[in-house]
Amino acid sequence: MSGHEHPVRDVIAGVWRGLSDEIRVDPLGSLIALRNGRGRKPRLKIMLAAHMDNIGLMVAGHAGEFLRVSAIGGIDARVMPGQPVTVHGRRDLPGLVVAPPDFLLPSAQRGGVALVPELLIDLGLGAAEVAAQVRVGDVVSFAQLPLAINGGLLASPALDNRASVAAVTVCLEALADRSHVWDVLAVATTQEEVGLYGAQTAAYALAPQLAIAIDVTFGTGPAARDFADRTYELGKGPTIAFGPNLHPVLYKHLSDCAERCGHPFQPEPVAAHSGTDARAIQIAREGVPCALLGIPLRNMHTPVEVVHPQDVYTTGRLMADFIAGLTPDYLGRLARELD
Amino acid sequence: MKSLIQKLTEAYAPAGHEDVVRDLVRAEIRSLVDSVSVDALGNLIAVRKGQGRGGRRVALAAHMDEIGLIVSHIDSRGFARVTNVGGVRPLYAAGGRVRFTNGAIGVIGVEMRRERPDHIPALSDLFVDFGVSRAADVPVRVGDVGAFMGAYAELPGGRIAAKSLDDRIGVVVLIETLRRLKRSPHEIAFVFTVQEELGLRGAGPAAFAVEPEVVLAVDVTATGDTPNSVRMAVALGGGAAIKAKDTGMLVDPRLRDLLIQRAKEARLPYQIEVLEGGRTDAAEMQLARGGAIAGCVSIPCRNVHSPVEVVDLGDVEAAIGLLVATLSKPMDSLVIGD
Repeated sequence: MSGHEHPVRDVIAGVWRGLSDEIRVDPLGSLIALRNGRGRKPRLKIMLAAHMDNIGLMVAGHAGEFLRVSAIGGIDARVMPGQPVTVHGRRDLPGLVVAPPDFLLPSAQRGGVALVPELLIDLGLGAAEVAAQVRVGDVVSFAQLPLAINGGLLASPALDNRASVAAVTVCLEALADRSHVWDVLAVATTQEEVGLYGAQTAAYALAPQLAIAIDVTFGTGPAARDFADRTYELGKGPTIAFGPNLHPVLYKHLSDCAERCGHPFQPEPVAAHSGTDARAIQIAREGVPCALLGIPLRNMHTPVEVVHPQDVYTTGRLMADFIAGLTPDYLGRLARELD
Repeated sequence: MKSLIQKLTEAYAPAGHEDVVRDLVRAEIRSLVDSVSVDALGNLIAVRKGQGRGGRRVALAAHMDEIGLIVSHIDSRGFARVTNVGGVRPLYAAGGRVRFTNGAIGVIGVEMRRERPDHIPALSDLFVDFGVSRAADVPVRVGDVGAFMGAYAELPGGRIAAKSLDDRIGVVVLIETLRRLKRSPHEIAFVFTVQEELGLRGAGPAAFAVEPEVVLAVDVTATGDTPNSVRMAVALGGGAAIKAKDTGMLVDPRLRDLLIQRAKEARLPYQIEVLEGGRTDAAEMQLARGGAIAGCVSIPCRNVHSPVEVVDLGDVEAAIGLLVATLSKPMDSLVIGD
């Protein structure tokens, strides 16, 4: 969860350690794995940024035997009542998100959605036991287990953005037996969901010459026909985003690479701020040419996010093919083609 | 300490015009630190070197500025229209007095709307009356900035009411911490920031220059203990508030736990703060350069952004004690890269 990425970082580090030459954690908690390129030093660096944090809840106060909560990131209150959660108190406690009866809601919310400040967590314990076990500031995570549903799809909390962390892992695995000239900095960033914080400080510290942010994007789902211009099909490959937040030539080269190597992809126009780590990285230091890959995902910011695993593999392999093709004079080519 | 609180809260420092408070702070701390400097934005940065080994580079931040008003228009009859400098609440502004940089004082009146006599005024419904009848006699010009007036008062129960306790009380906590901190392994930058009320504008550049490993802001926070207040597990008199979350930051849990541990060891009252609406300088400072571990010690305050902000001296003492206890010892639990 944002600001509390320690547990997932340990899991990712366990996998990335064997795929990299150096691994470290920065002051905001981002995990940085370096794969040395084969070029002569000083080598150029490409940053792959996938945020490892996910949304969740934080205990904001006690209300008798119940807990009040505060949102960490963009919680969709509509799907919260009835969710099983884990309250990370002095020990991990199973709990349920419950909404008070409609007549107890503020008048503006009656007959509608109970917003996060009105929601409660029921631990099934008495008030004294709850007070002894749980402090204000303890975090609450979604306890739904991953589920394979039909069509090869995977449903789980936190696929935003663990799907992309998995894609970066696929990329590192693919690069393990390939030659690449550039250094690769795989970064599992922190606190994306609350303001792109980890990417901002990591990009400053690493000062890459190029960056690819990998995040989820809106997949086709309920009522998708009404939003066909803003959603992307699951299983048809990642989106490659273009727009002012992204470098136009880098976009073209990634698309060319995907076509050349036979990776399916979907162009995604992003008219302004992409709302992803690409935004923070693009304006780090004197600026970084950025690309953005999006893994189509349904039900974003709910505990039943859905992706197609094939898109994760495609995303990783596309990045590996692109990185393997980076030459020492690539930045010159990027600048020339921009003119 | 009460006289210092009075002196600082009576001082005039709307955001962008912090020089009076900066001079007062500098006079208080000059003999207590190894260096004092003022940066291009006006932040006052005082550094005390660490003694011994194993110290970190720590920045403490409190903002010197307060909310205020800026003149946007003067009409032919000499009434000035104003807009906000920071988070001004029109309800608190109506009926108040405002003092401008040149010393001119005006009172704040409200348009009477016959069709909606009971409506809650917006800032655009307010005007400043300088007691003159012609535009030519108005003692301020468009663009001049003013600050609200609000007399210092000591309330029963060890509580203080004044304007701009947000965040002069943080400034007082930093000064008193500097006075009481005998020995610290840490190199500590005491950063008195500018323009916090306009969006944390001073803090980021100050942190970029100071390059701290650990950041602690000291600012006020809201309370949930008044009639029909926001729901919040922070009470006036409940002790120093150790922040877990606000709109701008999630405090590194290791730093939060370290502060809780030091409060317990020193038997200081504390409470854990989750604030739904508000940010502090720490939110910007944690993002300077490659980032820093950041937290916040808050002073519970009622009626924030009003001329009658109220704090409890026991909470202030607890915050000072907590900072002294935390800074006196190593911070070995804060390992970057763990």
